[in-house]
Amino acid sequence: MAETFTFGTSLASITCHAWNKDRTQIALSPNNHEIHIYSRDGNDWKLADVLNQHDLRVMGIDWAKNTNRIVSCAADRNAYVWTQGEDGKWKPTLVLLRINRAATCVKWSPAENKFAVGSGARLISVCYFESENDWWVSKHIKKPIRSTVTSLDWHPNNVLLVAGSTDYKVRVFSAFIKDVEEAPTPTPWGNRKPLGQLMAEFKNSLTSGGGWINNVSFSSDGNKVCWVGHDSCVSIADATNGNTVIRLRTGYLPFLSCEWVSPNSVVVAGYSCVPLLYSLTADNKLVLSGKLDKSQKRESSGITAMRIFQSMDRNMRTENTDTVVDSIHQNAITSVRIYAGDKSSASKVSTSGVDGQLVIWTVEQGGINGGMRNLQI
Amino acid sequence: MRTTSGRTTAWTAPQSGPDETEITTLLTQGKVVEALLSALQNAPLRCKNQIVKDHALNITLRVLLSIKSTQIDQAIDTVDQNDLIDVLMKYIYRGFEIPSEGSSGHLLQWHEKAFAKGGVGCIVRVLSDTNRA
Amino acid sequence: MAATLKPYLTAVRHSLTAAMCLQDFPSQVVERHNKPEVEICSSKELVLTPIVVSRNEREKVLIEPSINSVRVSIAVKQADEIEKILCHKFTRFMMRRAESFAILRRKPIEGYDISFLITNCHTEQMYKHKLVDFVISFMEEIDKEISEMKLAVNARARTCAEEFLKRF
Repeated sequence: MAETFTFGTSLASITCHAWNKDRTQIALSPNNHEIHIYSRDGNDWKLADVLNQHDLRVMGIDWAKNTNRIVSCAADRNAYVWTQGEDGKWKPTLVLLRINRAATCVKWSPAENKFAVGSGARLISVCYFESENDWWVSKHIKKPIRSTVTSLDWHPNNVLLVAGSTDYKVRVFSAFIKDVEEAPTPTPWGNRKPLGQLMAEFKNSLTSGGGWINNVSFSSDGNKVCWVGHDSCVSIADATNGNTVIRLRTGYLPFLSCEWVSPNSVVVAGYSCVPLLYSLTADNKLVLSGKLDKSQKRESSGITAMRIFQSMDRNMRTENTDTVVDSIHQNAITSVRIYAGDKSSASKVSTSGVDGQLVIWTVEQGGINGGMRNLQI
Repeated sequence: MRTTSGRTTAWTAPQSGPDETEITTLLTQGKVVEALLSALQNAPLRCKNQIVKDHALNITLRVLLSIKSTQIDQAIDTVDQNDLIDVLMKYIYRGFEIPSEGSSGHLLQWHEKAFAKGGVGCIVRVLSDTNRA
Repeated sequence: MAATLKPYLTAVRHSLTAAMCLQDFPSQVVERHNKPEVEICSSKELVLTPIVVSRNEREKVLIEPSINSVRVSIAVKQADEIEKILCHKFTRFMMRRAESFAILRRKPIEGYDISFLITNCHTEQMYKHKLVDFVISFMEEIDKEISEMKLAVNARARTCAEEFLKRF
């Protein structure tokens, strides 16, 4: 069963959302320069705080679970790290991103000592806290990014970073900062470690050009990368298998977000307004294994037969074409987050979208090999 | 660093386009579906030479327009089995750009049926693909 | 003729649905700007392949999508001189009032009679499927509107002529 929520009185779209550790609070941006923090109160949400520091549209929010810090970035080229004071209010600290275009996406690293910001300046800022100066500083990854960075995700080892961009490519970089961390152990992605080292590069598609990368995600063990592009495809690259890419061309509208919910299945959602579950089969094929939105086609009540015929007559139509979207979300879904569980086994995910709704879905996975059992349905 | 691209699917795009004599022969023999497959399989999508592309477009359109309405379903099934529905959609849209007597009406039928098979995804891929037909 | 109207509108509807997948996109060329990429074409990777759906030589729709905006241009059927004049007057009337029409472009693309510019702001404020419906019903209406106006003009001309000829 899906739970749906709306926040406040406005129906403004939700640009992005992030949960705190115990999922009692949510940070979201109502498609403007503000970030709203809501606390859950039974089935209701109470506005707890408004973070008002950016002066253009907020593009990304991430909440560090263990250290309880929020990082936000916006089209005004700035990023802030927010810490909660004794009185429960959030205080901003400016981050020196040193970029001259919009900051488009932001993600805390798993250890929460660094975060990465993607930007329209065709670079990624990897930010860390410099204690002697008491501020957040950044180092840049520039090459060979050719266009706006649209999405980022961290490898569980806290060093590798995957980035998708509008130049149709997905790249895995090393984001090793030697000032703040120990050298990492080698991964299947390679063992070179200097900051900005390109570990792997994938074109969205080998057979056809084009398709911006809308979202990227590392699997729970960090060996696979899933991405969704603007050509309605879902792709998974596997580093343990010679970086082979498994790609599925779907019949839906493009997807905007993807998230792993088990070691071999991902939830994707986008312009089609419904979140879908795709799984890897044993013979390395990607298949649709479930739809999270099980809503039925709505009864067209309230429209009398006379009105239907009147409208058909007036418009010279031969059938009634008052389009209704028969899904819970009524407009594109822009972000998918895990609500319960983690990437290795998530039982609930939350989605938010342009229609201003937040929906919490139950992910039904038949045991550990989720996709396989659902295949029969 | 590992090289990642081109390891698994070595895509060898045909550069010369479809074989006109072969397709004409197939058409005169009435093997229209085979003619369509041949045209789509050899589509010079990645070719840089506009003359080759235009030539291929003319041949493919000729095949599309010579397939009767009743045969479209069967043709699309075969095209779908060969994973060429995206390429077909590209040519349908290119055909719309150069309307001639009655061609658009026929292409609209093709569009409707290809859409029923490939979903909105195949239109999205016509838009997002930088290799034009 | 009418036989191809429905498939035509269906094809346009599906094409629009596919093309109207827009997202907010701050300019990567100019600081703190956010402009429809299809109009400024600052980076070619942000503009998608334009497509045409045509019903015949004269009636067609051009759809030019990009990352944050889509331009839809419509060529309306004009069978004779009166229809040409009426169509021109009608579209001009609307385009001069473009600001109250939200998605209308002030100037049509060359070769077409009227253009819409739909940006991500529009798809955020309005339901996408309703926007598609609007364009489709606009296309249905404009044909009807023009043929009605043509009838009205002819009727008026006839009355004028009768009045004038009464004197003789």
